[in-house]
Amino acid sequence: MTRVTLQYYAQLREQAGASSEQVSTTASTLRDLYAELQARHGFSLPVEALKVAVNKQFSDWNRLLAEGDTVVFIPPVAGG
Amino acid sequence: MNRFELTAAPVDLAAQREALKHPGSGGFCAFEGWVRNNNEGREVSGLEYEAYTELAIAEGERILAEAAERYGVLAASAVHRVGNLAIGDLAVWIGVSAPHRDEAFRACRYIIDEIKHRLPIWKKEHYLEGDTAWVACSHTERAHELEPPHAHGHHHHPHPSRADKFAPDYSRQVRLREVGEAGQRRLAEARVLVIGAGGLGVPVISYLAGAGVGTLGIVDGDVLDASNLHRQVMYDARDVGQRKVDLAARRVAQLNPAVEVITYEQPLHAGDITDVFAGYDLVVECTDDLASRYLANDAAVLTSTPLVLASVYQYEGQLQVVTAEPGEPCLRCLWPEPPAPALAGSCVESGVLGPVPGVLGTMQAMEALKLLLDLPRPAEHALQLVNLLDGTSQRLPIDASQGCAQHGGCVAVARRSLERAHAEGELERRFERLEEAIHAGYAIVDVREPDEIDATPLHVTSLRVPSGEISAYALVHLERPVLLVCASGRRSAHAARLLREQGVDAWSLAGGIAALMAS
Repeated sequence: MTRVTLQYYAQLREQAGASSEQVSTTASTLRDLYAELQARHGFSLPVEALKVAVNKQFSDWNRLLAEGDTVVFIPPVAGG
Repeated sequence: MNRFELTAAPVDLAAQREALKHPGSGGFCAFEGWVRNNNEGREVSGLEYEAYTELAIAEGERILAEAAERYGVLAASAVHRVGNLAIGDLAVWIGVSAPHRDEAFRACRYIIDEIKHRLPIWKKEHYLEGDTAWVACSHTERAHELEPPHAHGHHHHPHPSRADKFAPDYSRQVRLREVGEAGQRRLAEARVLVIGAGGLGVPVISYLAGAGVGTLGIVDGDVLDASNLHRQVMYDARDVGQRKVDLAARRVAQLNPAVEVITYEQPLHAGDITDVFAGYDLVVECTDDLASRYLANDAAVLTSTPLVLASVYQYEGQLQVVTAEPGEPCLRCLWPEPPAPALAGSCVESGVLGPVPGVLGTMQAMEALKLLLDLPRPAEHALQLVNLLDGTSQRLPIDASQGCAQHGGCVAVARRSLERAHAEGELERRFERLEEAIHAGYAIVDVREPDEIDATPLHVTSLRVPSGEISAYALVHLERPVLLVCASGRRSAHAARLLREQGVDAWSLAGGIAALMAS
């Protein structure tokens, strides 16, 4: 199990009901992690519509999770 | 001869009218303002006018002289009551005589508008419930600011006549060592295009006009709605229903007459956007529309025009500066394609608190001024995320090598995207409800797969032809225009293109089912 901190923006924050949370996960990559969260929170956005950042740097979805990572999921937003 | 009077006594109308008679007069026009029994929903029992007499008379005389000069009238007078007035009493009287009726009408309108706008006269309303309130009289629309009449297309708004008298004072910003007189000259020479005069656009337009940016282009196809006012704070309740570009142009004229405004009352499209961008030094994208933001990104990259992007969602926002210089990242480096409109969220669907676009729009104005003045900016390009609920802000550096660079570079990606948008634009029709399309004579063809149709059926009569099989159907015999419908507008655009080649009058529903109004 890997323990990570998650931050959500926009629709993801709304659908998760929180702007951040700490989770322990068996997912190995960011892509797997998002799939797991999508099932748990019912996220409507597909992974292709999102950017992901780890420890304040944008990242590849195939990156492996490390203990203590802070992961941020960011959709583009439209409001003005 | 012109005369302006303030009086506490009732006005002798016959004498006023007689005094304006002139052998050369072919037209006389009078206006009377009366005390009515209600204001803004409250019942009024009477009111009281109070004036700063010396200034009001001097300014009133000046207004009459301006009207005489502007419209060539022979004589004009105005009387404004002060003191206590009852319902139905005459509060103000204007009379104008001129050679022809047109000058008389216009001068009369000019005088009353300017009196309401400029005279130091205050009105205290007495309400039926017994309380009272002072009401500003200086809030009014001035018809003459909209002269000459608008034609279609985009408009130059000439400086109003009082611009000559008003000298902008930029001393507070010129004092900054990094700005100085040289910086102020750069601003005066700058041409900035603001796309969208809404929640983000309002602070951008206000600050750039205040800063003395020489030319502001403003694009907006909407009229003001009452639901805009909580966040679009340069408009007010009386503006509802008017075109935002006109309201914004008027506001800029009032804020800083030295700024020239060019308005575009239709959204830019793939066919004209690069030509428009080529006329500006900088673009600030302030719409609530992802497609517009991507279109602006592509045009900025192709014309090497710096672009300041921002968008908001409920309590948070995103900010990105696209410098449009070779090797520096663009919007598509982050998100190559926009998600379907239904997934992205808008202020209408998701809600937004007024100060959120206020903050992000203000940040856009700041970034625009930094670019125009060449002020210090962080070297690394970043997406800035601002969350106003928890007060956090973070900058995530964008690695250009991980973006469009992997697909031929920003310029190649932008060119392909713009070409596609152009082709799709020529195939698209926009409807909020499919009933409207049927009413307009279109046959609806649903090109989705059977399982998608089962999940989200259309509630109108439609043919069902999966997009992959569209060419096999002889739709050419329909003898009606065909509107193709899919989930996002992509497959239907592709199918429409194929059908056009067969001679079918085929169109694609813009944005697909996701863009229809929720029923």
